[in-house]
Amino acid sequence: MTNSENEKHLVTFSVRKDLENFPSVVVERYELALEKLTERLAEETCDQWAREGLEIASKTVRSWEAAAEFFDASVAVQRQLPSGQFLKWGKTGTSLCEDSPSLAVAYFKSSPRAMLRLRPRYIDDWSNVCRELYRGTWKSSALACRLFEATPELLETLSFEEFCRFGGFLEILSRRSYDQAGDALGAGIELFPKIADDADRFIELAHIVAEKSWRETAELFDCATASLVELGATHRGPLISLARRLAVTGVSDAAGVLKDGSNAVNRVPVDTRDRLLEMTDGIAAVSASAAPEFLRIAPEILERVTFEQMVKWQSEGIKAASESEEAAIAYFKLESSNSQEMLDSLSSSIELSRVREIIQMYCLALTGHAIEVQASQQLAEKNIGWFQGELPTTEGTTIYMPTVINRYASKDENFGFFKVISTHQIGHIEFGSFTFDFNVPSNLFEDLRPNLPGAAELQAAKADEESIQSAGNSSGIALSDVVTSALTEEVAEKGDETKPEFLTDMSRFFDLFQERRLALDVFTVLESSRIDGYVSELYPGITVMYDLVRDAALESRPDVKDLPAREALVEFMIRVSLGQTDDMIVPAEHKDAARRLRRLIRKVTTVEANVEDAAEAAVRAYSLLIDISNDDLEDDDYEQLEPEEEEESDDSDQEENEVDRDEILEKFMNQLSSEGESDGESDQNTEEEEDQGEDDYSSPQEVDYRGEFKPELSQLLSQMQMMESGELSETGEMEPITQEQLEEMMKNAPEMEMEQVEGEEGGDEQVSEMIENLMKELQKRDPENQQFQPGPSQHVDEDGGPLVATEPGTYTYPEWDFRANEYKPNWCMIHEKIMTDGEPNFFRETLAENSSLLVQIKRQFELVIPEMYRKQKRLEDGEEHDLDAMLEAVIDLRVGVSPDEKLFWRRNKNERSVAVAFLLDLSASTAEAIDEAKKPSDDWGAPDDPVEYMVWLRSRRSEGLRRTYKRIVDVEKEGITLLVNSLETLGDTYGIFGFSGYGRENVEFYTIKDLDEKFTDIVPRRIDRIAPLHATRMGPAIRHTAAKLSEVEARSRFLFLISDGRPQDRGYSREGVEKEYAVHDTRQSLIEARQEGITPFCLTVDKAGHDYMKTMMDDFSYEVLPDINLLPKRLPQLYRNLTT
Amino acid sequence: MATKQEYTERNIEEFYVSDEPFYVPTSDEIEIFESAYRQRVPILLKGPTGTGKTRFVEHMAWRLSETLSNTKSQSASSSGSSEKLPLITVACHEDLTASDLVGRYLLDADGTRWIDGPLTRAVKSGGICYLDEIVEARKDTTVIIHPLTDHRRSLTIDKLGTVIDAADGFLLVVSYNPGYQNALKDLKHSTRQRFVALEFDFPDEETEAQIIAHESGCELDVAEQLARLGLKIRNLREHGLEEGASTRMLIYAGRLIKEGVSHRRACQVSVTWGITDDPQVQRSIDEVVTSIFA
Repeated sequence: MTNSENEKHLVTFSVRKDLENFPSVVVERYELALEKLTERLAEETCDQWAREGLEIASKTVRSWEAAAEFFDASVAVQRQLPSGQFLKWGKTGTSLCEDSPSLAVAYFKSSPRAMLRLRPRYIDDWSNVCRELYRGTWKSSALACRLFEATPELLETLSFEEFCRFGGFLEILSRRSYDQAGDALGAGIELFPKIADDADRFIELAHIVAEKSWRETAELFDCATASLVELGATHRGPLISLARRLAVTGVSDAAGVLKDGSNAVNRVPVDTRDRLLEMTDGIAAVSASAAPEFLRIAPEILERVTFEQMVKWQSEGIKAASESEEAAIAYFKLESSNSQEMLDSLSSSIELSRVREIIQMYCLALTGHAIEVQASQQLAEKNIGWFQGELPTTEGTTIYMPTVINRYASKDENFGFFKVISTHQIGHIEFGSFTFDFNVPSNLFEDLRPNLPGAAELQAAKADEESIQSAGNSSGIALSDVVTSALTEEVAEKGDETKPEFLTDMSRFFDLFQERRLALDVFTVLESSRIDGYVSELYPGITVMYDLVRDAALESRPDVKDLPAREALVEFMIRVSLGQTDDMIVPAEHKDAARRLRRLIRKVTTVEANVEDAAEAAVRAYSLLIDISNDDLEDDDYEQLEPEEEEESDDSDQEENEVDRDEILEKFMNQLSSEGESDGESDQNTEEEEDQGEDDYSSPQEVDYRGEFKPELSQLLSQMQMMESGELSETGEMEPITQEQLEEMMKNAPEMEMEQVEGEEGGDEQVSEMIENLMKELQKRDPENQQFQPGPSQHVDEDGGPLVATEPGTYTYPEWDFRANEYKPNWCMIHEKIMTDGEPNFFRETLAENSSLLVQIKRQFELVIPEMYRKQKRLEDGEEHDLDAMLEAVIDLRVGVSPDEKLFWRRNKNERSVAVAFLLDLSASTAEAIDEAKKPSDDWGAPDDPVEYMVWLRSRRSEGLRRTYKRIVDVEKEGITLLVNSLETLGDTYGIFGFSGYGRENVEFYTIKDLDEKFTDIVPRRIDRIAPLHATRMGPAIRHTAAKLSEVEARSRFLFLISDGRPQDRGYSREGVEKEYAVHDTRQSLIEARQEGITPFCLTVDKAGHDYMKTMMDDFSYEVLPDINLLPKRLPQLYRNLTT
Repeated sequence: MATKQEYTERNIEEFYVSDEPFYVPTSDEIEIFESAYRQRVPILLKGPTGTGKTRFVEHMAWRLSETLSNTKSQSASSSGSSEKLPLITVACHEDLTASDLVGRYLLDADGTRWIDGPLTRAVKSGGICYLDEIVEARKDTTVIIHPLTDHRRSLTIDKLGTVIDAADGFLLVVSYNPGYQNALKDLKHSTRQRFVALEFDFPDEETEAQIIAHESGCELDVAEQLARLGLKIRNLREHGLEEGASTRMLIYAGRLIKEGVSHRRACQVSVTWGITDDPQVQRSIDEVVTSIFA
């Protein structure tokens, strides 16, 4: 080191010296930078630079870090900048350092890369933009630093101007929340490169959103990242502008606009996208808040109508929009009836939801059973054996249909299709597909079923046969005899044990077949054909549409020539059953079989045939098909079958049967022996029991209108249902079904094989899951499991004396002892409480869901009002004399009898003066689930049998805490909700009360709405909390309500009791005579009420209610509802009848 | 409702059913009615509208007249024709009072004059008095019929201060429809337990087809389809319909069809629109109609 050198670099040297006071890293970096810079900079500049560095370092305690960064960045920055600017750059940093060294650190750090994209004259602006974010706090400095750091990246896509605006946006946002601003910054870095050209617009939008509703910025960026990116550049800009315009006019949900908008745009054809946005603009011009709704609903609309039709719908909406903002929103939300009608008139498609009730009623009319109509999807989701989500089907009590039909150009035809599929599906119910009974003889065939061997019997027979064969007596002629003898032995041995192995007769039937898939397919064709036959005979009106659907179904059938022999013949059967008559292609060598199959189909397609005929026909068809190996054939091997008329008609049915009988028997046996020989291990449950040695047979493609037909499962399910409704009483008690039995059935069921074959492991899992679901489904339907069993009935003696009401809100009432024929004074204590508040949602949702019913009820109630203005005759005082009454009176006077004094009439308003108290039974039994998803509500329903218990437990666990089924109490709530809403139109005085309790000391009485209370928001919230509690001691509750009612001034007073069963409580409903006690006390309390001038009415949903209700209500009015679901509808009706 | 070719006017006690009214029994109701009549036990006919209650009473009035005149002519072998059983029908309505049944004083030039009501006339003339839809009448009417329905067989007329013992042939027959009134308009037990009750319901499909074909004169296959329609619509009872389609309605449809009205239209005007005002139920019934009729 020389002096001259030292002198030369006096400044730099002294700076170095000074820098030594700082951590060594500063000096190190300084020297590194200095080394490079001395070469490039003039000495003076270099000195200035060094001094700058020193100044930075000595600004504050921590500013040495900034200095270090400054030195570090200097070399790179210097390359980009002329020396003047370079120094200025340092100066800017220094002044930043005054604010916060960390800002300076960030500034210097990002400078080298930023300078690549930043014009030198903007350096100051840049630091200012970032510095704006800094407000002296830690968070603000972190944000500012982040912006510095992000600058190079941002500038890759943004112009500096845009960057400034983005900074401005962050600044606004950061005033509200630094976290949000930080997130927005991060999201921006991600987003901007993807929407490069539209970044400026987006920033502008973000700016507005941040000003108007800053909380939404996060969502805005989320939505933008999610949806804008996918949107083509051409539509992105306009959409953002749209959102911006909407945001300016006050629509808060800019994020939604982006999301829905891009979703909508992506849904429409490319050439109409501009127009879609134009349309939205058009709406925005009239009603800004309706525009987002339009974007949201547009995809849904487009599912139903074409784009052009939507344009019409939109322009109609604009007209509506000019009326009012609300009208516009309702229209574009598709909530106004105007809008729905408009859409309806434009669209030709039919949604199931709109015609569901009509179809449901249609089905009810046709079958006499309350058939549910649901979307197919729902059955598939249940996962109990049905897989297709689009095809129509039925499981015996519900028919499942596609959610929307858009096959034809007109609404009528689309509805017609619904009608055809529902007619066919309920045909299965109406014409008894599921009432198949193995032992019932067919009408048209000689019955073979009883003579055919089942799988288990086959085993035994085989063993026998082998022993016989080994003994040398292998004569084929005697085979059927052998079988029969083996059978009888078998049956004798096993006795009754053989029978309950099958859950359904259908299972027993399919058990006859080795190739169950084939049997099922054949049976399906024959049975469906039979149903079609019935339909065309009994419902000739539908045939036009039916034929149309069948023709369409025919057109979509696969080409017979593409199928191997056996499948070709099954396909042939389907075609015959669909009504194809000419151009029938069949494998040439099986023409004879085809003819026979055709005859079989014709034979069952009449109203004489029943399901057993279809089964017999299936046996015959099966025996024909089983012989035909499923080989691929050349096109030449298919020939056209002559039309039926030309067929030689030398076949008399008897003859055919005679020939067939032994032949078929033999075939069933042979099939076994060949099987036995070929692989020797035909254990009953192995999966590979079907299809040995032959080409795989696969089931034909379903016929669309016939859908999935699952006779076994459906029979099982519908049997359970019928048992519940008591329609199958003659079969008596059915053993509870165990999971093992179900598994057995599922394994054997041909309907399930598809799943099993497809995936070995997964299949098994699927099946077991399915079984579990099915078990649940069955449980819902099993009446045994539903019965509400209250806890062990304790014989608590009702000793003790009268009670005294001391606390506020308690009241005592006497109780009637019918044995002693006297009152027990002050025997029961009422605890009156106000129901706690819940959520208002239940109320709102119920109203929304039942809007059509609500309209009806309202209309009904409105009719009451004019009735109040009727002319009243025979009054003691009034407007004018009643001529009739006067005449009578004069006559009476003449004759010398005392005349009636009621001589006037009056037209004035018959002031409706009605006070009514609704008394709801909140007993625990109202927790019982109803119909569609019945489940035992609590542990009381637990079965005793350990196996059942496990199943039960499992189903409960999987159910979790979520309650998806509907309870009686829910229906009560619904009814009350609908009624309350309508009662407000009438202006009657009404109160809603609930009661329950445990024991005579503790009768809980809940006020949901008191008689003199106004209907306020709190009432719906209390209704929400109506829930099952304990027991049902009706007497005191009725007395208390009556007491409340008699305090009200009203000409007519009513007590409306809604209950789900007989009164019961501890010491109120014990066995034997005690049961009567409750009934008599309740009756007595009602009599008391009547003496007070109150009209009691009891509505019960207990089907067994008729017996005790007769005693309890005697000459009071009551009604037993046959179906709980009728309650919401019936309640207002009753109310109206009762009070007018 | 024997068809009258021309205008005739008769006193109510001279109204006899002279031609056999068409009636297809669904079970042993004819025998029961005959036995009850012989024992003079009053009869209550229950059942939904249009199931043939009124027709049944007419038929029985005719039938009993026949047997009456036969036995009389056998025993007395003289003037059989005058021994007919009058049928006096009163359709009850909500303003029907006791004096409407019993009678009242009227003013005339000379003062007042007593006029017998239909019930009194029936009691005097010894005919069948048929009170249709008894529950519709005011409550006071039911009380006056009580003495007529037990061993007393007498009618008290307050205003005259007289008691009339019923003529030998007198029998009270009342009808009501348990379903369609509301729960409040039920018969009191004290009233209903004075009658033997015959329940009426819709006939089975085959019988109904026969009835429709006979009454309307339409083709049997049309009648069968109409009967099927009736059956299907009755499934909707309690589920949107308060009452099932009556046989009468179906007969009207049959008549229109015979007149050349198209099947669907005839069913629509005589069945669908008649049975309900609920557009949705109407639509559903229409769908059933269009399924059955081409």
